[in-house]
Amino acid sequence: MENIGLLIDGFGHILSWNHILLMMVGVTLGILVGVLPGLGAPNGVSLLLPLTFSMDPISAIILLSCMYWGALFGGSTTSILFNIPGEPSSVATTFDGYPMAKAGQASRALTLAFVSAGIGALAGVVMITLLSGWVANFALRFSSPEYFAVYFLAFASFISMGAQSPFKTLVSMMIGFALASVGMDTISGDLRLTFDIPTLIKGVSFLIAVMGLFGIGELLLTTEEGLRFEGIKARVKLAEIGRTLVEIPRYWLTIARSTIIGIWMGITPAGPTAASFMSYGVARRSARDKSKFGKGDPRGIVAPETADHSAGTSALLPMLALGVPGSATAAVMMGGLMIWGLTPGPMLFTDRPDFVWGLIASMYLGNVVAVILVLATVPLYASILRVPFSIIGPIIVAVIFSGAYQVANSVSDIFMVIGFGVLGYVFKKLDYPLAPLVLAMVLGDKAEDAFRQSMLLSSGSLNIFWSNALVSSLMALGLAMLLSPVVFGLIGLVRKRKRDGSAAA
Amino acid sequence: MSENSANGLSRFAVELGVATLTGIFGAAVCYGASDVGAGWSDFGPEAGYFPFYIGVLIILGSVANAIGAFVKHRGTGDIFIDGARARVVASFFLPLIAFAGVSAWLGLYVGTALYIAGAMLFQGRYKWWISLPAGVAVSLFFFIVFEIGFKVPLLKGPVEAWFGIY
Repeated sequence: MENIGLLIDGFGHILSWNHILLMMVGVTLGILVGVLPGLGAPNGVSLLLPLTFSMDPISAIILLSCMYWGALFGGSTTSILFNIPGEPSSVATTFDGYPMAKAGQASRALTLAFVSAGIGALAGVVMITLLSGWVANFALRFSSPEYFAVYFLAFASFISMGAQSPFKTLVSMMIGFALASVGMDTISGDLRLTFDIPTLIKGVSFLIAVMGLFGIGELLLTTEEGLRFEGIKARVKLAEIGRTLVEIPRYWLTIARSTIIGIWMGITPAGPTAASFMSYGVARRSARDKSKFGKGDPRGIVAPETADHSAGTSALLPMLALGVPGSATAAVMMGGLMIWGLTPGPMLFTDRPDFVWGLIASMYLGNVVAVILVLATVPLYASILRVPFSIIGPIIVAVIFSGAYQVANSVSDIFMVIGFGVLGYVFKKLDYPLAPLVLAMVLGDKAEDAFRQSMLLSSGSLNIFWSNALVSSLMALGLAMLLSPVVFGLIGLVRKRKRDGSAAA
Repeated sequence: MSENSANGLSRFAVELGVATLTGIFGAAVCYGASDVGAGWSDFGPEAGYFPFYIGVLIILGSVANAIGAFVKHRGTGDIFIDGARARVVASFFLPLIAFAGVSAWLGLYVGTALYIAGAMLFQGRYKWWISLPAGVAVSLFFFIVFEIGFKVPLLKGPVEAWFGIY
């Protein structure tokens, strides 16, 4: 197998003490942002990104991706110990994790969560190892119309798969596109949408948007909820870890099923949150004895955790191979790649195999490091949450402001973060999804370039999107996704009519 | 939008307000895009071509959301935020704006120290001799991490200049 050889080369690139140290730093910081309310994976990665501008890309991606793994683990820690999901994707873990911890089995719950999460993540990486080269090769046949079709498909699937109203998703996404186009036009060099405001000439950075939307917005929500942490004393006992490890093979079916759900949802832009909920739902529905679900059933922890992490890792496959990130965090990392001067997409595999395979190798190592570190440091992080919010909250704000300033050494960005914070707070309360906005901001320029180049190729005719089998099938799939909410709505309506009709008769 | 301290701000009003604002934003995008040319030139699509249709989609989506607000939220009595909660959020949000203002003037290190000390003093009700050193400590920690550790400068103001740090 060609990929295995490349992977071994990749390990060769990353196996140094320096990189292992970076992994540990990344995982530690990641657990920290995962545990703290208001800071999540996308936010943590955005805050760290300006600090990596001077690093070499391999070290930088190791740091950032390990932070991502750490944040995924940190989110589950607070779900189990405090009944407060540190990340949206670990909400489903609270259903059974907290009851089990409350019943005095905190170590068991944590071990179950971390180990199944680790298995899920490793399954995701194995999938990436096996498929990425193939996907990238396939994508080499793409030209601009195909690329636009892929973007179209990604955004259409957001509209159809989102839990929120499709029009709210549309507005949120299009605001992202509009913000991405502020500033200098990459093709003609014209300034647009600046309205003669000087600070808008450099454009609006997606990093600022993420820090405001997910950081300040989340903090405002947290203050409003009036956080009270009523945590469970977490003492990880070695004997209990051992006992739980022996127990895990019993859940192989749940793990296998959740992995498949997670990988699928990760590759498509549905993301880890949808994956963990769906996996929990499936595990519950297929269980013979449902009575324990919600009261601390181990399968209720294993299922969402496995799916969450396999989706989180799988989200990097489309980012690397196609340049279309599968989650908000992957979108931020992809923005980072572009800042470091790398172009995500199939060419990356031929241009920088050391980077791609180094990253994939670091995903194996990073997840192992993460499982060990998180088990070792849980009591420490649990104690952080006992620090009152009146101290933690302001410190998080200060970190976000510093990060915002560092993006472009610009004071106006600090005020822009506040603006995005208010937007994030209001949007979140009104159920407007935020991930599409971020994704559109990162992909905006690329999608627009692909569209305009296609238009140039066809001198303005939209027929180019139906010119060959590949692009037509991608577009057809996208359109089908876009129309599916309407169709399902109609089917639901007809069924209801029928039921009403038969009930009347 | 009217605020009523007994009931709070209704969800319907906010839904409608946000839909209106996004609609105005969409219109502004259309206007800005047509300013640079949203048509087709000899060199292909002009700079405003793509953003113009984005603006149109924002307007369409906003209209649909406004209709949605009437259908789903009108007369439901759902509350966006009530008076007590609004005060809590404001007590967090207003210092945050002050922090940004002070930082723009005195630099982020001084701003951070003052903000954290202030938040601990007034919100956390800590004694001043705990709050002030804590604020300075956080600020110093930032200095070590950013300035020395990662060699990324933060915004500095006149106070750092007195100490000869640039």
